[in-house]
Amino acid sequence: MVELIDEPVDVSTHGVFNWILLLTIFSVITVIGNFIGYGHPLADSFIGMGILALITLIGVWLERKLPLDISSIIYISVIGIFIAFPGVPTSETVLYYVSKVELLSIVTVFLAYVGIGMGKSWDEFKALGWRAIIVTMLVIASTYFGSAIVAHIVLVMTGVPA
Amino acid sequence: MKDNPEQVEHIYREKTDKRILKKNPWRDYRLHGTVLILVVIAELIGTQKIPITEDVAITIMPLIYTIVLGLAFYLAKPITWIGRKQARIAEGAMMLFIGVLIAKLAVSSGQSIHLIFTMGPALILQEVGHLATILVLPIALFLGFKEEAIGMTNSIGREPNVAVVVDRYGFNSPESRGVFAIFIIGTVIGTIFISFLVTLSLSFLPLHPYAFAMASGVGSASMNAAAIGPTLAAFPGMESQIEAFAGFSNLLSFCVGIYIVIFIALPLTERMYRWLEPKIGKDSITKKEED
Repeated sequence: MVELIDEPVDVSTHGVFNWILLLTIFSVITVIGNFIGYGHPLADSFIGMGILALITLIGVWLERKLPLDISSIIYISVIGIFIAFPGVPTSETVLYYVSKVELLSIVTVFLAYVGIGMGKSWDEFKALGWRAIIVTMLVIASTYFGSAIVAHIVLVMTGVPA
Repeated sequence: MKDNPEQVEHIYREKTDKRILKKNPWRDYRLHGTVLILVVIAELIGTQKIPITEDVAITIMPLIYTIVLGLAFYLAKPITWIGRKQARIAEGAMMLFIGVLIAKLAVSSGQSIHLIFTMGPALILQEVGHLATILVLPIALFLGFKEEAIGMTNSIGREPNVAVVVDRYGFNSPESRGVFAIFIIGTVIGTIFISFLVTLSLSFLPLHPYAFAMASGVGSASMNAAAIGPTLAAFPGMESQIEAFAGFSNLLSFCVGIYIVIFIALPLTERMYRWLEPKIGKDSITKKEED
């Protein structure tokens, strides 16, 4: 069992079980944060997180089970858009519960994991020098401004009211 | 040429899969307990506004506290229960949790699906705006980078972009070294940097609220998340539209963005490099970095 590390990963029942438990932990932490930060009722937001976690689970599972070369992000987006689509029977229930989970509550928990995870890159980061740091900041700023300014011009040209 | 970058992406996926499918990542109560404490602290402090001038204020949101505290906990010597093992699990778990974030954005997008028909042109064209990274090439050359600059400035340097560059130039090429540098630095400072950048832009740039929303889909889930935060706070009452546009734009960055890099950004960066390097290139500084 120890030496299996380099075998291709098979999504076993054990693997799906791991995903479910991780998503449950993530949901519990998010719901607590969501309650402290925004005062949304615990039960409703927990159901909302349950819906989002279920979509995620189906998405990552499809990515690994289907022979197509499509990222789970695409599956998750399509499922999410579909079940909230106006007129689809699930739409109202989904919107009610999911609206009880603030996007920012999810982001706050997600970024706590990101913060701990990126600590690993700290030594490499320090070795790169200030010139590379300047270039990185300019690259991020230019991609953001480039896209914002193009979007703004097109929105104004197509006459979208603010 | 189209298949190989995706293979490299899969290597990354399998690496994270191994961490969360083979081990029992949910059992690491040190990691999850710490995250819970960080989140509770962050939400209790809440959003803070630091005024700079009369009408400009920097907004610091709970998401900044958790990312900074998370990094600080990893680096702080007295905190022995968050180490390399926890960081590896966090990184693997993160790949799964991105899904929840995307699902929330997708639900907002589905709810506002009618918007995509009216805003379609803006959404698609703003992807082309990401080509602005190439403008940084002369500055990179001026600072003394050589072929590294091609890897550094063709895109924002997130996972899919790294995969494309590595596939095209080889793992040990200077171009790949450049994109790795951007990737690592972006990982450490990107999220925090973009959050401040967006906060300041919201105060100083008189752009359309939807333009800010669309721009936040830069192709990295954590940067996307950090960019949406201040935007949501700046335009109260427009939450679902802003989430919808950020979601659509992020989705587009995933499906269209990568082809823009392969077919437009990289060839353009190379051409510009060949034209500019003899004119403004400096002596290489990358033969064993300074100090």
